[in-house]
Amino acid sequence: MTRYRKQDPEMTRRRFINAAMGTTATVGIVSLVGVLGTANPVFRLTRDKMPPVEGDVLVHASASKEGEIIKPSELSEQLIRAWPMGKDKEGNNLIRKGDPNNVLAVFRYPKGQIVAPTNLEATIDGEIVAYSDICTHAGCSVSDDDQQEGQMKCPCHSGQYDPKRGCIVVGGPPPRPLAQLPIKMDGDKLVVAGFFLENPYPFTEAEWEARKEAVKAQLA
Amino acid sequence: MNQWLDERLHISRLNDKFLRKAFPVHHSFFLGEITLFSLIILIITGIVLALSYEPSNSLIVNSFDPGTADKPNLIPAAYHSALKINAMPFGDMLRRVHHWTANIMVAAAVIHMMRIYFTGAFKKPREINWWIGMLLLIFTALTAVTGYILPYDNYAYNTVKVVYGIAASIPWIGSWLAQAAFAGNFPGEGIIPRIYGYHIMLLPGILLALTGAHMLLMIKQKHTQPQYAKRIAYKKIVGVPLLTQQTPIMLMLTLLFAGIVLLFSAFIPVHPVEFFGPPSTTPIQNIKPDWYLLWVFGALAIIPSFELTIFGGIIGSEFVGAILLPTVVIAAMFAVPMLDRSKDNNYYAENPTNHPVRLAIGTSFMALLIIMSVAGYKPDLISANVLTTGNANTVLWILMFVVPAVTYFATIGIVRGIRALREADERESLAHSTAAADD
Repeated sequence: MTRYRKQDPEMTRRRFINAAMGTTATVGIVSLVGVLGTANPVFRLTRDKMPPVEGDVLVHASASKEGEIIKPSELSEQLIRAWPMGKDKEGNNLIRKGDPNNVLAVFRYPKGQIVAPTNLEATIDGEIVAYSDICTHAGCSVSDDDQQEGQMKCPCHSGQYDPKRGCIVVGGPPPRPLAQLPIKMDGDKLVVAGFFLENPYPFTEAEWEARKEAVKAQLA
Repeated sequence: MNQWLDERLHISRLNDKFLRKAFPVHHSFFLGEITLFSLIILIITGIVLALSYEPSNSLIVNSFDPGTADKPNLIPAAYHSALKINAMPFGDMLRRVHHWTANIMVAAAVIHMMRIYFTGAFKKPREINWWIGMLLLIFTALTAVTGYILPYDNYAYNTVKVVYGIAASIPWIGSWLAQAAFAGNFPGEGIIPRIYGYHIMLLPGILLALTGAHMLLMIKQKHTQPQYAKRIAYKKIVGVPLLTQQTPIMLMLTLLFAGIVLLFSAFIPVHPVEFFGPPSTTPIQNIKPDWYLLWVFGALAIIPSFELTIFGGIIGSEFVGAILLPTVVIAAMFAVPMLDRSKDNNYYAENPTNHPVRLAIGTSFMALLIIMSVAGYKPDLISANVLTTGNANTVLWILMFVVPAVTYFATIGIVRGIRALREADERESLAHSTAAADD
């Protein structure tokens, strides 16, 4: 090579081509990212996807009895799965199963068995208690424990909960207890008395607060 | 005609370059071929299945059990089409062949990699092909997982829910990533079309491209030569050419393999969609992933519960067990060729007993994966009264460290024994030969 670089006032052909290719690649990648952005559809909060809201009636979720209103006499220490049933815009009944994370677990225990950290004010007479039935670990529906009477076990990764003590984690990987849902009696119906007391799966605390605000704003 | 073709297609060049490729004569070299044949069978059966499959999770009336007019029996279209495929002549058989072959493909790939690892075939110059092989293994597993989501029965529904949960557990970007990958909040309206796209277009495309690269590199670099080749012709390629000697062997192997798969499929049912039923809120007791993912499942079953918040991102047991741990395991496997510092190209398949440490690390690594898979059976072990709820985690955690360690030292011990015997043999034959010379 020569010691002196040739000073060319004009752009060399190679430089021009490199610049052109660089520009094309940049524009191409940016537009591809734009297209990929559509891979994630916008979430619309419809009434069937709302979490249980105050006034919702609890109905059976099992396939054979789906939609039938749960009577307190049907409840026992065996887990009963329930959906919250609210009203659509026309005032017709609407089961909120658009989001499968809305499924609930309802139990009834003899008085005095349900203890802290369960929020006793959110139960019915300290006897009937409702929780989110979605495991806080990977989002599976939690069942009765077939090995330990009176406990709950998630079949996916063996997460265990104690429904008499606020569904705290007693075994396995779940990070948080199942969220408790405040309920009250209205005649012979079980009715939701408010939002979940803690953030249910899959929400973080901040996301849950935002979701509650969004629901309130939409129903107002 | 040969000449006519040759002038246009340069067949003779193809012949010299590819069709004369020498294949080593040893049965362990068939494992890669079995993987390849599995891929071919999977693509053929997959195309036929795709012709009758409806990739949609919209609810439609179940034509087999329509229910009543005011309460119709609605099931997802994908699940309905799986029921229809089962009702077709040989439809269930087709699904079983596809499923069995998928399992065999992963198994053959795993054993193939074990052969490569234990004989040192990953060494220079074949590192790149080890890495491509790792990618093939990962994408094969991903293809298999997306495949068993497609029937969209309750089992598939629970599977995809867990997969979504795992993707969403990545700190900071998790929920965005899961939504982008699975078409919105679980279960979005487009989840089945999305996974169908992955399973029949994206992932097979990646698999085919990687397989092509894998084989081109293999032809360019040649197989490692079995040990006998060293004795007959040092540093020469020994083996039978693809055309015509290896081809009939391959054909025979294909037919034998296809026959075995058909036999399996005829007698051993796989994934009965009718049994699991359409997606529902009722969980499946003792649900488990396929055997090649059981180790991740086992790790999740015994990992304790915790949650850390770092800069607004949540790091939980799910992320550590299902993302971080497999990443570490896979990274270790990727790193295998980098641990070898030899400057020379490796021509010959090595005798594993000449490399006791490598052998012992390999066996203890497999022992670890096996113990983790056993941990996946934790609920079953508890209900069979082998372990109790109280001690299961402790016992399994101890086994996870003890068994690989024992395996490591046992392997080294056995190899030493084998070597001692071999050396004794050599001394003896040497003594006899000198004794014979004295006469």
